[in-house]
Amino acid sequence: MTSTHSLHLWLLPLVPFAGFLVNALLGRRFPRALVTAVALIATLIPFLQVLGIASQFSSLSLPHLEQFGTWIAAGSFHADFTFALDQLTLVMLLVVTGVGFLIHLYSAGYMAHEDGYWRFFAYLNLFMFFMLTLVLAENYLLMFVGWEGVGLASYLLIGFYYTRDSAANAGKKAFVVNRVGDFGFLLAMFLFIAHFGTLSFSSIFSQITAHPELHGGFLTAIALCLVLGATGKSAQIPLYTWLPDAMEGPTPVSALIHAATMVTAGVYMVARTHVLFDRSPLALSTVAIIGTATAFFAATVALVQTDIKRVLAYSTISQLGYMFLACGVAAYSSGVFHLVTHAFFKALLFLAAGSVIHALSGEQDMRVMGGLRKKIPVTFWTMTMAVFAISGLPPLAGFVSKDEILYHAFTAPGPGKLLWFVGLFTAFLTSFYMFRLWYLTFFGENRAEKAAAHAHTPASSHHAEVDEHHHAIHESPWIMLGPLAILAVLSVIGGWMGWPEGLGGGNWFGHFLAPALASQHVAEAGSNSLEVTLALISTLVALAGWFLAHLFYFAKPELPEKLSVSLRAFYNLLLNKYWIDELYGAVVIAPVLFLSRFVLKGLIDTGVINGGSYAAAYTTQGMGAIVQRLQSGNIRSYAGWLALGAAGLLLLTYFGFGAHLSLR
Amino acid sequence: MTANFQLLRILPEVILTIAGVLIMLIEPLLGHSTSRKPLGWFAVLSVFASLAASFAQLGMAAGTAYYGVIQTDAFSVFFHVLIALIVLVSLLVTIDTANANTESLGELFALMVFGAVGMMLMTSATELLLVFIGLEISSISTYIMAGFRRKNVKSTESSLKYFLLGSFATAFFLYGIALIFGATGTTDINAIASQLGTSAVPMFATIGLGMILIGLGFKVSAAPFHVWTPDAYEGAPSPVVGLMSTAPKAAAFAVLLRIVYVAFPALHAHWQPLLWLMAAFSMTIGNLGALRQQNVKRMLAYSSIAHAGYLLVAFTALSTDGIAAASFYAMSYAAMNVGIFAVVSHASGYDERLSLISDYRGLAYRSPLLGGALGFFLISLIGIPFTGGFFGKFYVFASALHSGMVWLTIIGLVNSGIAAFYYLRLLASAYSKPTNNALLDPMPRASFALLLALVITISGTLILGIVPGQILAMSHNAAVSLTSGIANPAPSATHQ
Amino acid sequence: MHLVLFFIFGGLCVVGALNLLLQSHPINSALSLIVVMSSLAVLYLLLGAEFLAAAQVIVYSGAIMVLFTFVIMLLNAGREERTHGSRMAYIAGFPGAAVLLGLLSYIFLSNRGHLGNARLGSYLVTTGDLSRVLFRDLLLPFEVTSVLILIAILGAVALARKEH
Repeated sequence: MTSTHSLHLWLLPLVPFAGFLVNALLGRRFPRALVTAVALIATLIPFLQVLGIASQFSSLSLPHLEQFGTWIAAGSFHADFTFALDQLTLVMLLVVTGVGFLIHLYSAGYMAHEDGYWRFFAYLNLFMFFMLTLVLAENYLLMFVGWEGVGLASYLLIGFYYTRDSAANAGKKAFVVNRVGDFGFLLAMFLFIAHFGTLSFSSIFSQITAHPELHGGFLTAIALCLVLGATGKSAQIPLYTWLPDAMEGPTPVSALIHAATMVTAGVYMVARTHVLFDRSPLALSTVAIIGTATAFFAATVALVQTDIKRVLAYSTISQLGYMFLACGVAAYSSGVFHLVTHAFFKALLFLAAGSVIHALSGEQDMRVMGGLRKKIPVTFWTMTMAVFAISGLPPLAGFVSKDEILYHAFTAPGPGKLLWFVGLFTAFLTSFYMFRLWYLTFFGENRAEKAAAHAHTPASSHHAEVDEHHHAIHESPWIMLGPLAILAVLSVIGGWMGWPEGLGGGNWFGHFLAPALASQHVAEAGSNSLEVTLALISTLVALAGWFLAHLFYFAKPELPEKLSVSLRAFYNLLLNKYWIDELYGAVVIAPVLFLSRFVLKGLIDTGVINGGSYAAAYTTQGMGAIVQRLQSGNIRSYAGWLALGAAGLLLLTYFGFGAHLSLR
Repeated sequence: MTANFQLLRILPEVILTIAGVLIMLIEPLLGHSTSRKPLGWFAVLSVFASLAASFAQLGMAAGTAYYGVIQTDAFSVFFHVLIALIVLVSLLVTIDTANANTESLGELFALMVFGAVGMMLMTSATELLLVFIGLEISSISTYIMAGFRRKNVKSTESSLKYFLLGSFATAFFLYGIALIFGATGTTDINAIASQLGTSAVPMFATIGLGMILIGLGFKVSAAPFHVWTPDAYEGAPSPVVGLMSTAPKAAAFAVLLRIVYVAFPALHAHWQPLLWLMAAFSMTIGNLGALRQQNVKRMLAYSSIAHAGYLLVAFTALSTDGIAAASFYAMSYAAMNVGIFAVVSHASGYDERLSLISDYRGLAYRSPLLGGALGFFLISLIGIPFTGGFFGKFYVFASALHSGMVWLTIIGLVNSGIAAFYYLRLLASAYSKPTNNALLDPMPRASFALLLALVITISGTLILGIVPGQILAMSHNAAVSLTSGIANPAPSATHQ
Repeated sequence: MHLVLFFIFGGLCVVGALNLLLQSHPINSALSLIVVMSSLAVLYLLLGAEFLAAAQVIVYSGAIMVLFTFVIMLLNAGREERTHGSRMAYIAGFPGAAVLLGLLSYIFLSNRGHLGNARLGSYLVTTGDLSRVLFRDLLLPFEVTSVLILIAILGAVALARKEH
């Protein structure tokens, strides 16, 4: 513990956890108002505490460590319950608790008519507990607790509508895909233990710093394992497939978990581990390439999606790609900056989309929206701010952070220019698909009535309530609009704290994070004029995207149809998301299932193994039936397998491996 | 050295034997309609006393008794405690599950208690013949218990299969002992290592060791000797499956640890690759087999094969940490597996009303308690942090990788990733709203015995995950006492 | 002399065991088992283990086999049905068993020179020596065997008892 007084960091995660316990154990018997109160207070207190910490932040000696006891002491290795606070942590804490609280508030309105209200808020608080643990942890093991925990909470929240099979499957998919990422994370931890004998951040990083000769080699191996973990949680290639499906969850969940907080855990982890990554150029380039490729790839898929939440999901993947790109060119603070601004405008986009969906009683298909500008004006104006921000129009938040990333990519050595160009092109695509969403949703004529005539069944009718307003389009209540307004303001001004020096700003944000993310790679090679030029180019590109969307979806709405016909193959490729899900199905899942069937049936006589054949023998026929069954062969084949296994084992024992082959 | 003092070294076993005999004698004196549950509570008390006696042995200096056939040390105490706890919870679950249709309940309690005697003896025996007798006691009692639902053909079939195949495996074990005796002239585990050093004929000893691995591999249901497991588990009564999937396995693992690390450290180049292969096959076959399984007990059977594989991974580490990790894993697996079988037993009742995964639909709505407990144990089996399941696996793989077992660690991690899939299927089913209203009938009320069982297993799983310090220290001491080869020939150390 | 006796009784033992497996009537199998047990007793005698040989005759050939035969008579068990057996038993079992047999024979033959290290006692084991091992060195295992027998009885009673 440092000399400064205790900040009671343990309260931060434990208050939401208490909220979870209360709602999970007693919520069923509580009235809704009480459930809401418990959940909101359990997130408000940590937010206020974080604000308190922020106000006295300058007086702290950083990093501020607080140890609460020994967790594990096994032989030479031990891990503690230790929380650490530094600039990076503070930023993350503010985002998690601040945006988290707003989304809790919004959910109180959005979920008001749902079954299992208490369960929803219990899970949401559980999520906050794990997310705060993840952010505060001072060692990888504790971070992994949060890492797995947010995955679990996400699983529970996606599968919230358990009666719907698609939701349960999406939850399972998210969980299982993330297990692949966890595989990398765990392997990295084991390697840390093997090489450093500890999992504590400070002691690993000081060991690395103390050995300047350590470069590449096993550090690269560890870093690549961590990258695999990060791609799982942050939905990057190759493990992004779970995020679009995760949209089955309620919209506030998508906003909180699948846009603002949990999915950024991978970026946070890479930034946190930057000391390691700085020593491994290979790992850094991997991160940069994965990030750029994902950004571009997801943006192209977003061009043709028709489900409003899916567009946003692919957009999230794409924006996370930008953050990875920033980390990959060692501009960690830019990555974190984009993480923050993205949390503002993407949470806003999701919440506004939720408001639209709410207004349309559960409709998510943009093809049957349109003309909502007048009917839900608050939602329209707040969402407009978010669309402008994400498209990169100055001086909104998205412009500042994205421009900074592109600038760092441009000045990075090696293939930096290529990364910059792909990033720029992606920015164009981003602007296009976001304005497409904007026009389709809010402009033109209202296509809902037309669709209703065609007896269109809504893609998702999760709103159980069938009230008299079913068809009347209505603006959301203020408990939902309030968070929208706050986030809209943040989406506009949130970027100003990091206004780059090249454009006459102070980049206060970058300087603030510098002590925590000091990188060996930062080389301020660029000049002011270069930065101005690049900013100008990206602004033009964003405007071009807007113009094209205007042309396609406002001025000449028949154009997209024609284009999709003339470019049918390409259009289908995008519409089917490059058939990646199908590819994984054929390459990964089918072989596993085949092997499973082989283990069950191929190895042992068919029919005796799946339990089905027992039904016949179930009727009591006494000993005769048993003897018959025993002689029908299956016990003999079991004995046969035992004999074969024994023979194999003894052969190996006798002839041995020894020098010939050593199994590791 | 007094006789009394020696008796202290087998006190836990003595207590249980007396209790078993008493239960056996009282049972026929009770009328037909008298409830047998008090007998069960008596058995619970006796197991508790035996648990206390095991702990008391920690106060004694490690040492042997009865001419070196038995040795109590931190290692034996660790497994004594584990076995006592498993049997304790299994007795509670049996008390909870038993109903008017249950036959021969008194005998079932007696068999559980006697079985525990055999398993405990296995863990402290240093004489292979005593290991063998302990193994037979534990196996034969399990064979009989597996067939206890006599009206059910499946149960009888399960018992017979288990018995026939088990005898086959036991024969290998016994043959192994004979070969080792032939090669070294002794069956004392502590003496074998020194005999091996001087004798020039390790080949018979090696083959003998291979035979022992086959026999014990069968008992712990490690691939390729796992084929009996799904059938045996499916037919046996659920409370018994909770017991037989953990306690005899823990005892067999303890024996395996003692044999390979105390008697045959010199032959590690032979047994390490064998265990490597058994671990890899068990994990893979277990998880793949469970993936498509529809029957819950069969799924859990395959899962137990996989967990045997994880545990074997720790064996290959060849380090004190590896032994400690294996012991720790045995305990954490026992906590969650006995727990999940407690839930399964209560939910499906003695007549096994629920068997398929789809039958569990809506369980959480019928009984939030059972649903919550099921979810908790599944999460631990998946290996989410803050549960014993996670930390057990973490410790095992960390120790394996520390010893350079890169590929085995990778295989293990991939497998534990696959495993999430089938556990989640059961979880999702239990939390789905049932389409059929009949599935919404409330569950029978949880009895005090069940609550106690759940409290023990849930708190055990949590303690192993959140504050494992005490138990880690215990397992570490166990590992140290095993490898330091105390083998105190004159157990005259003063008793404090 | 020893060698001749060994071949006679060893051969008898193997033939008896094969017959035991191949006979389809239980009573014939049981009688073959008596042949196997008795020839084993002779083999023990040839190795100098008189006590074991005597025990073998009394316990196995005498008590246990008589019981077996009685039970078979009482149950009036008929002929076994011939079944196909299982595909896997042929694919896995027979090669496995063959490999086991071959491997063990090979190992014993190739390491023959190293055999003979273990000592069962002096050539003629006295009852005194035997008792010392059984009732002193291995006292605990000997006593624990009673638990084993007890649970076997307990189980038999529990499983065979008439339902009420």
